[in-house]
Amino acid sequence: MTARVLPLNRVDEFVRRLLAAAEVIAPRRVDGGDVFYGPIASPGEVAWDYSTAVEPLKRFLLPQREPILRFSTNGKLEVRPEYDETERVFLGVRCCDVTGVSVLDAMFGGEIVDPYYMARRERSTFIALTCQQPDAHCFCVCGDAGPFLKTGYDQQWTALKDGMLVEVGSERGEALAAANEDLLLPAQMEHIKERHRLAREAETRFGEYHAYAAAAMRKLTTAEVADEVWQQAADRCIECGGCTFLCPTCSCFTVTDRWEAPGRGVRERHWDACLYSCYSREASGHNPRPEGADRMRGRFFHKLSHQWAQRNGRHACVGCGRCVVGCMAWSHMPAVSEAIRRGAMP
Amino acid sequence: MGVSPSRAHPVSRGRLCLKGWHAHELMDNSSRLTRPLVRRGGQLVEASWSEATKAAAQGLRDVLSSEGPEGVGVLGSARGTNEDNYVLARFARATLGTGNIDCSLRLHCFAEPMELNGALGPSANQGLISDLDDSSVILIVGGDPTEENPAVGAHVHRARARGAKVITAFARRHALGRVADVHLPVRPGAELRWVGSLLNVVLVEREGGDELAALRRHVAELTPERTEPETGVPAAATRRAGEMLAEASQAAIVICAAMALSPQGSEAAAALGALGRVRSAQDRPKFAVLSLLSRNNLQGCRDMGVTPYLLPGYGRLEEDADVERLQRAWGTPVSRARGLAAWEMLGRVKALYIMGDDPIRALPQQAETRAALEGLKFLVVQDIFMTPAAEMADVVFPAAAFGEREGTWTSLERRVQRVRKAVDPPGEAREDWRILADVSGSLGKPMPYSSPQDIFEEIVTHLPLYAGVFYPRLGVNGGVRWQAPQAAAPEAPAAAEAGFGEASAAAKTNEQRPLLLAADPTLGAWDGEVTVSRTLSVAAEFTVSEKDYPTGMLCVSPADAARFQLRSGRPARVVSDRGEQQMRVVVSDEVPEGVALVPYWQAVRMQVMAVVTEPKTGRPLLAPTPVSVEAPK
Amino acid sequence: MRNPYLPLVATIQSVKEETYDTTTFRLKIDDPKERAAFTYRPGQFVEVSVFGAGEAPFCLSSSGHGRDTLDITVRKLGRVTSALHALGEGGQVGVRGPLGNWFPFEEVAGKHILFIGGGLGLAPLRPQIQDVYRERDRFASITVLYGARTPQDLIYRDELTEWQQAEGMKCLLTVDVATDGWEGNVGVVGTLLSQVKLDVPQTVAFVCGPPIMIRFVVQDLVSLGFGEDAIISTLERHMRCGIGKCNHCMMGDKYVCLDGPVFSYRQMKAMTELEGE
Repeated sequence: MTARVLPLNRVDEFVRRLLAAAEVIAPRRVDGGDVFYGPIASPGEVAWDYSTAVEPLKRFLLPQREPILRFSTNGKLEVRPEYDETERVFLGVRCCDVTGVSVLDAMFGGEIVDPYYMARRERSTFIALTCQQPDAHCFCVCGDAGPFLKTGYDQQWTALKDGMLVEVGSERGEALAAANEDLLLPAQMEHIKERHRLAREAETRFGEYHAYAAAAMRKLTTAEVADEVWQQAADRCIECGGCTFLCPTCSCFTVTDRWEAPGRGVRERHWDACLYSCYSREASGHNPRPEGADRMRGRFFHKLSHQWAQRNGRHACVGCGRCVVGCMAWSHMPAVSEAIRRGAMP
Repeated sequence: MGVSPSRAHPVSRGRLCLKGWHAHELMDNSSRLTRPLVRRGGQLVEASWSEATKAAAQGLRDVLSSEGPEGVGVLGSARGTNEDNYVLARFARATLGTGNIDCSLRLHCFAEPMELNGALGPSANQGLISDLDDSSVILIVGGDPTEENPAVGAHVHRARARGAKVITAFARRHALGRVADVHLPVRPGAELRWVGSLLNVVLVEREGGDELAALRRHVAELTPERTEPETGVPAAATRRAGEMLAEASQAAIVICAAMALSPQGSEAAAALGALGRVRSAQDRPKFAVLSLLSRNNLQGCRDMGVTPYLLPGYGRLEEDADVERLQRAWGTPVSRARGLAAWEMLGRVKALYIMGDDPIRALPQQAETRAALEGLKFLVVQDIFMTPAAEMADVVFPAAAFGEREGTWTSLERRVQRVRKAVDPPGEAREDWRILADVSGSLGKPMPYSSPQDIFEEIVTHLPLYAGVFYPRLGVNGGVRWQAPQAAAPEAPAAAEAGFGEASAAAKTNEQRPLLLAADPTLGAWDGEVTVSRTLSVAAEFTVSEKDYPTGMLCVSPADAARFQLRSGRPARVVSDRGEQQMRVVVSDEVPEGVALVPYWQAVRMQVMAVVTEPKTGRPLLAPTPVSVEAPK
Repeated sequence: MRNPYLPLVATIQSVKEETYDTTTFRLKIDDPKERAAFTYRPGQFVEVSVFGAGEAPFCLSSSGHGRDTLDITVRKLGRVTSALHALGEGGQVGVRGPLGNWFPFEEVAGKHILFIGGGLGLAPLRPQIQDVYRERDRFASITVLYGARTPQDLIYRDELTEWQQAEGMKCLLTVDVATDGWEGNVGVVGTLLSQVKLDVPQTVAFVCGPPIMIRFVVQDLVSLGFGEDAIISTLERHMRCGIGKCNHCMMGDKYVCLDGPVFSYRQMKAMTELEGE
């Protein structure tokens, strides 16, 4: 799994070859200037110079609304699952987002495997693009998820003077490199040095947001956080769901049935948010988490506690900063993790 | 299928509220109307477009011939597009020849300055939402923006995180009030009085220009100490708030949509609005005054003439030039009648055409509204779901929803923005303007529009206010704002005429009726709203108050709960001079002592609260009402 | 790869009204191979679908011993339960499971077994009562204490009569509020504890009922000296998948669907502490 270099003037050809074999998801600038990850039709659409995409990779592995079963009751009751078996390459995506996928892997894999997620996941290849200029809201260092990764990718590219440094992190990544060996050059020591220099520099370019997860984790794990902190956090939350839907690692969903035509219907799952007031409300009306403070406590315990980190292999914040952007009030991860440490919200 | 936010948008900046994140659930939703329906033998049955259109035209024609144009009315949509509403205005004034055109939700708007003062010019926000970002002090009056306009609430929270001071003034200590630097629990009905005392502090003791000399005179006697007994706000707190505002180099005043439903709320808003004329040291407006609206296209709906006393584009009925301009555009005579408001139509017209409006939910005295709808000779409803009004209709047309058609909306900042089609409407549902054009054609007045863009070009051509709003620029980054002329400057004589709440308003409680019951529009603000309560995955969020408090959610303070032996979750019998209602109690420290709150959307169904009529506009408003409360044995 | 969201089709064999709002449905999985492979233990639950209305979790209320059907006892409360109640014999549903963990059995051999049920909480206890009674020589004694709000709310009336008359089992009943004709005990189910002689150190208690009832009964047991591992209960939570993916049943650091629904009082205490209660 040696590192290679893809010269600048061969990048487009590499991308063309990817496009010939799979759907390629890359950062694209859309009308208005936002950058979203989305399917590209040609190499020219890739926004290599982007800082962060508005949304993580979640939508491609766990759509906001997806059919999981179709049923028909015309005569005999028949029930059929539906899978998405599209081959996808995720090109030029950020390290924090790739790390987010590893948390989703733990959630949807394990002893019981979610076949809808896995059908997509098994057909996905991740080519991360290291980040040299973090966005104002980023804090991936706190999330142990960037700006450069040591492991957890199929390939990791870094933009150097001469071209892309291509690090290989898995068999799938190695196979992809091997299949395109004619475009690649061996990496020299100067390339490796440049890559490490760029990594160190990137770490100095973060803004004011941070979430010192280890300290917050200690207090959460030993239930040392005062109730007032959760009440204050709830007062600064309007339960919009933004933090949840924009988070690379949040994956709660609800399931509904509906009829599409007489005798024919579909069961769908939808993104859900544990902060919503009816999230754990039972049919009897009983609600184990009736107050916003209870739901806040539950959310951050799930995100940062040692207990859940053990279950998922790591804690559930990659420091992408999207909750900071998407919060409609002021109860995002940096604000709450600081409150957990200090004992009060700002 | 899903929804994504846009960071590039100047207002939302990458954020969406709960409703926004689930907007796509209007689509592929099995509750949607998909086929025209016609009432036969007492039942609504599916019909073809041709049958239904003819039936609608015939029914309207019959009532027109027996009752004349005064006998028919039209209700337009605060959630529909500008194009739909413009075509509806033409349908009313040109096709039906009536001036009875309105939108129920205009009830939830402050009286226009022209209604209060006779001044020219539409009410229009001069302040921008982004002014909140630069303000060091933000005053929020009359509601909770995080509940009613979350996108605005987000700007307030961010300003606060950057160090801005937040002052909230509202009876209930709502979510924003709990984090505010100062919360002022203004007693329901005393809002105008309190505003007077705030202006006393801000204007009277300050050096300053003469822009507001008359206003200053009116409030000279209204010291916080003098008004404290009626407003329930400690004088020192009002003083502090006033001083913070006066000393800020840049401040913002947010007037919440809920305040429009308070008696004298319009006068209070106008008085606060006067502060918009104070200049800062840099000769810029020192106070950005932002008046919120409760629906996505309530501004556009009014711009397009869905009002009984204005033509599209705020044309005056008395101005020949304004009338002729439209007659030329439409090629037909145009009614100059000053028609009935939505709340007046019910009970007086014999036929009603409702497009995307919910009078049963919006108008107070729901029982009367229902009875009036049932008593109509003919009712046509055009909407996306089977609303309670649609269930009573003679003809129902299925309409296309957000995301299923092209069009424009105008925000409270007068930002005209395109909404785009992402998917086809379900079944046979069609765009509202197209349905109207077909019915109009069947009535002998064809409307040869070919697309929403076509309609918009006509709007821009013929409505001077929308000149300069170029269609190609409406798609991204917040569209284009139409330019509002500076409103003429009456110095809030309306507030002065109302004596700054002296005769008040603040209805008096007494031994028999010791609590003041007020309807709070910010409690469950969206509960039962048709566009959100039928979503697939989050309908529960908007139906809890109905499930848990079907007869009414009565919120009282802990002190009053102890005093009257009320307990959370238990029933309570509420009695006023007007009537009574058994509700279920919530004890909360958000409620000030001496006050009881019930969600506005539930209060309209009850016979408990007094109804007052706003002078000059005739808006019926639920007034704070003295009540007695007891737990039944 | 087996799809854990895909239900098996089952047919309603019989319907028994237990009370005015609670009915027991006996389900038989259509496919013979699947039916034979479907073995379940007391304490476990199933996710049952009424297609078009939705899916909801129900505890298994029958012992699987010697039969190829499964029972669920359902109160009519919401969309799915109402749709289920509208089905009769021959109606078709979907079944996923068995899910969750189960009551200890071997581990409590030799002990006195005390069952305390409230209202619909008797449903998950019934299969354990049946299995324990079937092998009663392996246990020191069996006691069933059951109560409901009124006599009309008592479920499994036929079994209750059998249990009251059975040798090798003691069964006491009570109601919170007596109505005409009721001649038995009146009072919450915890009051029955004073009517039985308990060898506390050698007894294991299985408790199930509404959350309030569990809380009070557990308090009673603890004050009688029961250890936290000797009190076993089963929890319910709003669920959307039953397999630990949707997160709705998350409680503290556990999933009720995967780590439960059967928990000891010690475990429940730890979970509720993390929930801030």
